[in-house]
Amino acid sequence: MSDERGAGPVPSRLMRLAVVGAACLAVASGGLFYYATVSRQSGNAAAVIKVEVGAKACTPNALTLPAGRHVFEIHNTSDRPVEWEILDGIMVLEERENIVPGLRQTLAANLKPGQYQITCGLLSNPRGSLTVTANAASDAAAATGPDLKAFIGPLSEYKVFLAMQGASLVAATEKLAEAVKSGDLEGARALYEPSRLPYRRVEAVAMRWADLQTAIDPVADYLERREKDDHFTGYHRLEYGLFAANETASLVSVADKLVADANELKARMRSMKLAPDDLSGGAARLARRLADGKIESGENAYAHSDLADLNASLTGIAKMAGLVRPLIPDGSGDLAQELDARLKAARLSLDALKSGDGYVAYDKVDVAGRRTIAETFRALADTLDKVSNRLSLG
Amino acid sequence: MRLKYLLAVTALMSTLGGTAYAQQNTTLDLVEPIAEYKIYVSEKLQQLVTDTKAFTDAIKAGNVDKAKSLFAPTRMSYEAIEPIAELFSDLDAAIDSRADDYENGEKNPEFPGFHRLEYGLWEKNSTDGLAPIADKLLADVTLLHQRITDMALPPEKVVGGAAALMEEVAATKISGEEDRYSHTDLWDFKGNFDGSEKIFILVRPLIEKNDPAFVKKVADNFNTVGTTLAKYKSGDGYQSYDKLTDDDRKVLASAVNTLAEDLATLRGKLGLN
Repeated sequence: MSDERGAGPVPSRLMRLAVVGAACLAVASGGLFYYATVSRQSGNAAAVIKVEVGAKACTPNALTLPAGRHVFEIHNTSDRPVEWEILDGIMVLEERENIVPGLRQTLAANLKPGQYQITCGLLSNPRGSLTVTANAASDAAAATGPDLKAFIGPLSEYKVFLAMQGASLVAATEKLAEAVKSGDLEGARALYEPSRLPYRRVEAVAMRWADLQTAIDPVADYLERREKDDHFTGYHRLEYGLFAANETASLVSVADKLVADANELKARMRSMKLAPDDLSGGAARLARRLADGKIESGENAYAHSDLADLNASLTGIAKMAGLVRPLIPDGSGDLAQELDARLKAARLSLDALKSGDGYVAYDKVDVAGRRTIAETFRALADTLDKVSNRLSLG
Repeated sequence: MRLKYLLAVTALMSTLGGTAYAQQNTTLDLVEPIAEYKIYVSEKLQQLVTDTKAFTDAIKAGNVDKAKSLFAPTRMSYEAIEPIAELFSDLDAAIDSRADDYENGEKNPEFPGFHRLEYGLWEKNSTDGLAPIADKLLADVTLLHQRITDMALPPEKVVGGAAALMEEVAATKISGEEDRYSHTDLWDFKGNFDGSEKIFILVRPLIEKNDPAFVKKVADNFNTVGTTLAKYKSGDGYQSYDKLTDDDRKVLASAVNTLAEDLATLRGKLGLN
């Protein structure tokens, strides 16, 4: 309703004054903007950088500019329509398309220090160069963390990941439930671990809902009456029936409930709001939790399929880590390389235990072997914490 | 009078303050629309790969008529997501460059992609020599799909894409310049239009409250373009570009240019400049 505050009748003089006031403010802020622009580009006489695109090349064909926002005016002096692009490797940083022969178009670009290329008409024409040099402002930007805007893309991509895994989770648990209902013990056994993988990939997020977690993934060790406890539900109840009790009859309602819980988890992941810390922070918390508990204790006491579980967890962690990696500020030493190395070490600790299409049974991995895996996950968590600190999230 | 002046300025300041606050809030509110858009892009890319396979299979089988019938529908998925597809300069050139981008135009053996195939099918009425170009196109759209699969989309490119698509329509579709051999420009037009409207629909809830007049104006212009374009529907697709009447061309040009101008303010409205 507050939007309609200004809708009532306003005395005309007051209105006039408001308009004058607005104009004054506009001029003042315009002036400030101009000042900021000029002062940032000090030492750079022309505010607009003019580039001519001719038949064979750009003029000038090599530009050197300080970091920051620049406006380019592209003049097409060739006899065919051209597009002008600033390239960072194969990626198009900014572009202006369909510049008609004889006409000028402008393009604004926010440039970070580095070496770029510019396109100049025909695709076969040699590209020009654009060198962007560091200055005080870019050094300051490299030292501090990214702004909130920088998280939109990564968080969106993570939401897509959650949506896709949520859909896989529902489909995989439904398949498992069908096999259970038709009394197909062997089929259900084969579908048990695949049905868990999407859950483990999103566990960093799933573990924040205590009600779902205790319904989907409790282990008997934590329940008073162990396997006989009424609260023994979800995956491990199914696992117990399929791999220890060797029957499906008692599992039908358990499987149906798991499908319902999977649907609920999918819906919650879809409607949840993510925050910047959910990526590196969520990944670090999960990696540390695994290192401190499940990796050493094991979790799938009857199917012994823990290594496939851990591989799926690592896929989820690597997804989050990969999304924040480009946000690590330039002035962070070799933190990005350290992150790569930690991810690789964790992956290798699991790969070492591969067997055929899958992994060796977890009851064949002794305490020392489990501790080796736990150490790689702990080291990964430490590095992810460092990343959070560099992103000013710590 | 002084009091009134103060009142006016205070009211103005609160308006400005309100806008700044709204923009700040909007920042992470963009996560959901961008995620939805990524899913849209993924679906279009899957469609593009499937359709390109059928299109290039027809060329390799030497079936000119079938290949011609599949050219325009195949391109629609590409045109809908062009702001994202164009982020890779190498693939943009390989998939969708025009003869103008090459010395000696069509005669240049480097001329690749959709428009090279279009040239062969319509100007030469033949698939002779097109098989390697078809194979390369399928490989390139497959690579595009792979590259975008795990990529976090830059929000300013997504939101800016709404205007970019309409500028593209204004510059190359209303003139009939893009598909100059096949005259299937209205299909591409529809692809660009759908892609632009999709972006607008996704971010619309974030601006509707603060700027209902803007939202209505843009929605009305999308409606005008959609209705005019619908007059040229034919079966699952569109009539030849030559059938577009001068009057409709004017209506489209006016609405499209206004849309391009208005949509160009979206980035600013959403705090992405």
